[in-house]
Amino acid sequence: MSDAATARSWRATAARVLFSDYFVLWLCVVYVAVVAPFTPGFLTLENAGNLLATLLPLFVVALGQTLVLITGGIDLSVTSIIGLCSITGALAMNDDTGWLARSPMAMPVGAGVMLAAGALVGGFNGTAITRFRMPPFIVTLASMMGVSGAAVWLTQSKTINRLPDAFNALGGKTTIALVIALVVGISVHVMLSRSMFGRWLYAVGHNARTARVSGVPVNGVILGAYICSGVLAAVAAILYTGQAETGSPVLGQRILLDVIGATVIGGTSLFGGRGKVLWTLFGVLFLKLVDNSLNLLSLSLFTLTIVKGVVILLAALLDSLRTRLGPADR
Amino acid sequence: MTSAPAVEFQGIDKNFSGVPVLRAVTFSVAAGRTLGLVGENGAGKSTLMNILGGNLRSDHGRMVLAGQPYAPGHPTDASRRGVAFIHQDLNLFSNLTIAENIFLTSFPRLGGAPWIAQRRLHTRTTQLLHDVGLDLAPDTPVERLSTGECQLVEIARALSVDARLIILDEPTTSLSARETDALFALLRRLQAQGIALIYISHILEHVRQLCHDVVVLRDGAVVAQGTIATFSTAALISAMVGRSLTQLYPTRHGAATGEMALEVKAVSQPGIVRAIDFTVRRGEVVGMFGLMGAGRSELARILFGLEPHASGEISIAGQPLAHADARRRIEHGLAFVSDDRRHDGLCLHASIADNLALVSLRSHARGKFKLIDRTGWQRAISRIREAVRLTAKANDDQPVQTLSGGNQQKVALGKWLLMSPAVLILDEPTRGVDVGAKFDLYQLMLDLADRGSGLLVISSEIEELIGICDRILVMSQGEIRGNFRRTEFNRETLLTAALPRETQT
Amino acid sequence: MRPRPSSPGILVLRQAPLILFAAIVLLFGALAPKFLTADNAINVLIQAVPTAIVAVGMTFVLLTAGVDLSVGAIMFLGGAIAGKLLVGGQPLPLALGAILAVGVAFGALNAVFVTRLRIAPFIVTLALLFIGRGVALTITQTRAMNLPDSFLQLGATRIAGVPLPLMVLGAVVLTAQVVLMHTPFGRQIYAVGNHPANARRAGIRTQRILAAVYIICGFCAALGGILSLAQLGAVSPKFGEAYEFKAIAAAVLGGTSLFGGRGAVFPGTVLGAVLIQSIETGLVILNADPYAYPVVTAAVILIAVLVDSVRNTALSRLTQRRIRVDA
Repeated sequence: MSDAATARSWRATAARVLFSDYFVLWLCVVYVAVVAPFTPGFLTLENAGNLLATLLPLFVVALGQTLVLITGGIDLSVTSIIGLCSITGALAMNDDTGWLARSPMAMPVGAGVMLAAGALVGGFNGTAITRFRMPPFIVTLASMMGVSGAAVWLTQSKTINRLPDAFNALGGKTTIALVIALVVGISVHVMLSRSMFGRWLYAVGHNARTARVSGVPVNGVILGAYICSGVLAAVAAILYTGQAETGSPVLGQRILLDVIGATVIGGTSLFGGRGKVLWTLFGVLFLKLVDNSLNLLSLSLFTLTIVKGVVILLAALLDSLRTRLGPADR
Repeated sequence: MTSAPAVEFQGIDKNFSGVPVLRAVTFSVAAGRTLGLVGENGAGKSTLMNILGGNLRSDHGRMVLAGQPYAPGHPTDASRRGVAFIHQDLNLFSNLTIAENIFLTSFPRLGGAPWIAQRRLHTRTTQLLHDVGLDLAPDTPVERLSTGECQLVEIARALSVDARLIILDEPTTSLSARETDALFALLRRLQAQGIALIYISHILEHVRQLCHDVVVLRDGAVVAQGTIATFSTAALISAMVGRSLTQLYPTRHGAATGEMALEVKAVSQPGIVRAIDFTVRRGEVVGMFGLMGAGRSELARILFGLEPHASGEISIAGQPLAHADARRRIEHGLAFVSDDRRHDGLCLHASIADNLALVSLRSHARGKFKLIDRTGWQRAISRIREAVRLTAKANDDQPVQTLSGGNQQKVALGKWLLMSPAVLILDEPTRGVDVGAKFDLYQLMLDLADRGSGLLVISSEIEELIGICDRILVMSQGEIRGNFRRTEFNRETLLTAALPRETQT
Repeated sequence: MRPRPSSPGILVLRQAPLILFAAIVLLFGALAPKFLTADNAINVLIQAVPTAIVAVGMTFVLLTAGVDLSVGAIMFLGGAIAGKLLVGGQPLPLALGAILAVGVAFGALNAVFVTRLRIAPFIVTLALLFIGRGVALTITQTRAMNLPDSFLQLGATRIAGVPLPLMVLGAVVLTAQVVLMHTPFGRQIYAVGNHPANARRAGIRTQRILAAVYIICGFCAALGGILSLAQLGAVSPKFGEAYEFKAIAAAVLGGTSLFGGRGAVFPGTVLGAVLIQSIETGLVILNADPYAYPVVTAAVILIAVLVDSVRNTALSRLTQRRIRVDA
């Protein structure tokens, strides 16, 4: 074989591996196989349960991020939305001062309030980005700061306890959380692959100008993506708050790297136009496996942060590699 | 002429993905003389000048610059050898001053120090601006300049690097008559200093006024050359149009009906188009001929609602649509195939199926959640694929960018087929498309017309418009300058109407 | 030579920083007369020094249409290493050198990822923000470290009656101003930010320029870190947090565009930094809830970016190509 042909076949193989839907799943399997022998307690049923419980809310937020990334944007404010939703819900529902205290409707109405809060912040981000043409990363960075600041301000940095049991069960009982995450995951999957809105999201991410010329309401689609991201962050807030049985303004503050890292390592592109629910699921799984195993090795939280930072860089590298290995422009 | 020519082209060949764009181009430009390079759009002028300017490399042949072999690999090589290329889209940095733009990569410095010798920068710029006759302070920001003034700054930049050969590409298109006169006076002074000029323009009167020699390119080959005095304008025009390669055109079956598809009344936008008036009936194929920069693409974007217009009315299928956006116009039956396939026509990284389905998604959406009816969708896609005769090899999931230019264009056109548009505007529909695919595209367009769509086909190829249109409008300088019926079609007349007039009011 | 008028709308947008500054000063002055005293003015100015220096570095990056989110992490990491060295009995100059070295090294790391590996600046610097803070927290074991008095002296020293921090700021701003306005390198930064493709075609080495601005930004962050530590006297685990916000806000408030190619260190960025500090000091004087500060800062950033975006849209409309010469 000539050099050129060898290079081409190498390129083709590399592309096939990198573009495979299951690439990251294999990465997970390899990771488990390599790490398990050194990590006591990694391959136990109890640990698997822990892993699942922390994986579910992360998966839900990462789905929102996936939608935004598909349009070619980014949402850095999701972690703050989680904190804000957590305390708005808790303020409304807690047994002491909440206006829904001890009401039989506390759980559904409280959850609704949280979703509305998420939608509101997402709507704000989307409006600033579409209507005023502000760059997504700076808008969501500013709203990350503003929203988390507002959450801390509202509560004077205190947590809120005594939430209704029915609400705590949503996140606290892994089976219920699993059902919620599954429903969300399947809905997003159907939306992306089967609905008009889903096709529009990809079209906008691939090429917003072509989408506009083809009659796609580009601004509406982008706005929709940010609202979805806000709402899904709120769903994650419901799960996290239930798990903790506490409303906290700083809930989720640490997971920004997890969300972006998991989504991008899964294969959703920072350049827009590419992303799938399954990819994000595998990405979240990979990130959680790393997180969990390093925890079991009792590495410090900071070491974990470092590792996740490196994971993001690698994921971004992989993303630009995928983009370059993709079919060449003509 | 005693000394070596400023530049000599010797048998330059160039292919783009197998299509020859330059064939054995051979001519030379003498120092102190101006050569007019004329030809229709796509004749190969830009390609040739890009090779000279170091943006492209030729496949065969060589260039000799002032007696030395010359093969620039980068624009900086060209400027180091004294070749300056002044593009039609000026390459100035709007946020910098005139002086900074001129000396951006060659600032005068204070001795060996890293900082700029401001006073010397100022005096040298003042001198250069004086040489080009621009009465502005060197520290004026370029964003405050008019196009004509920017043009002069570009020439000043060429003079600053001691250019011996300056290429000017359509320098007068956005200049007023006074600015044009000033520019020509300057160019004549440069000639007198022994600088060679290559002047590319569609305005033949300007070529006549300024140039000593002329070279006519057609289909990538030199078809005529000599001193300008030996050519009448009519002779130049007939050399430019000649007869292009034979292209077969499908036969037309249908004819225009009485129903109005598109009505444009007195549409104006300052600086872009003025008093545009025309109609397209259902089943009619109307051509719009014009040279690059005539405002055709801009008009198309205005008609489609992508750009604003200050006054006038646009109705589609009898419905007046004052200032509706593109989406509303599509709903009323307007369709648009842009000349910029990569940016406005296709999602290159997305699949063939997704591209074909994009416009008609709405009609396949069912129920409250607007879920796509997959079977109907699939059926529609295979129907379009068949209609547009996409290569059999291509698979629906394949990204569009893996297709050839012709097949890409079929996809860009195909996505509008399902909505049976009342009016379809096509801007340069066959640019960069091979002969076989061109025929398929013409066939597709005529089929659409036969089924009752009105077509507005914008093109800078006279041949194809004559081949498929019922009527041809000619546009120049943002105005409609002619309306020809089939019986009046004649290459020379059309090109004469399309050539910009020497002075604008 | 004819002067050219610009449209009044653009004129207002160009003067936005000054207008905003006047509005803020008047607002706080009306609410709290103490705000308008000379003492307070000097106090605000000295307090603003670290932000201003970091923002000067950020301005270089923003001019190329990039962004550096890792400045706060650089400050913290430099402080952590310096703290360790000083606690271990090493001399002050070594510690200061270490901080600056950290800044340059981090800047270079950002530069490699942005220029060689072509990853979006905000993602690279976001990842390095977390990595830097993680390393620093590991070094400090999340404990606050008190710095020796010699370090605090840096903040208190006066030379010829002028506080050292102000001298340093003056030197940094003067150097940055000369580099940006009066060297080929500086002018080429503006060209790259205005149109990267054209800049490449004109023969500018864009990759080198991009690399340089991230290194400059890292260095300025480190220098700002030193002066901030000299004011605070200790390296706390929160040191440098959200400094990227302050720096971006200061630069953008001062008229530097996120879209590249527009802005200046003086008066722009310096004015922006003083403006941010005025707001903070004003809130303190007004006895506002400290928890409200981030909300106010976020609002200020949003307003600054909004003005920038509106201006950018207006300018791009102005430079549209014309086909005919209409009256």
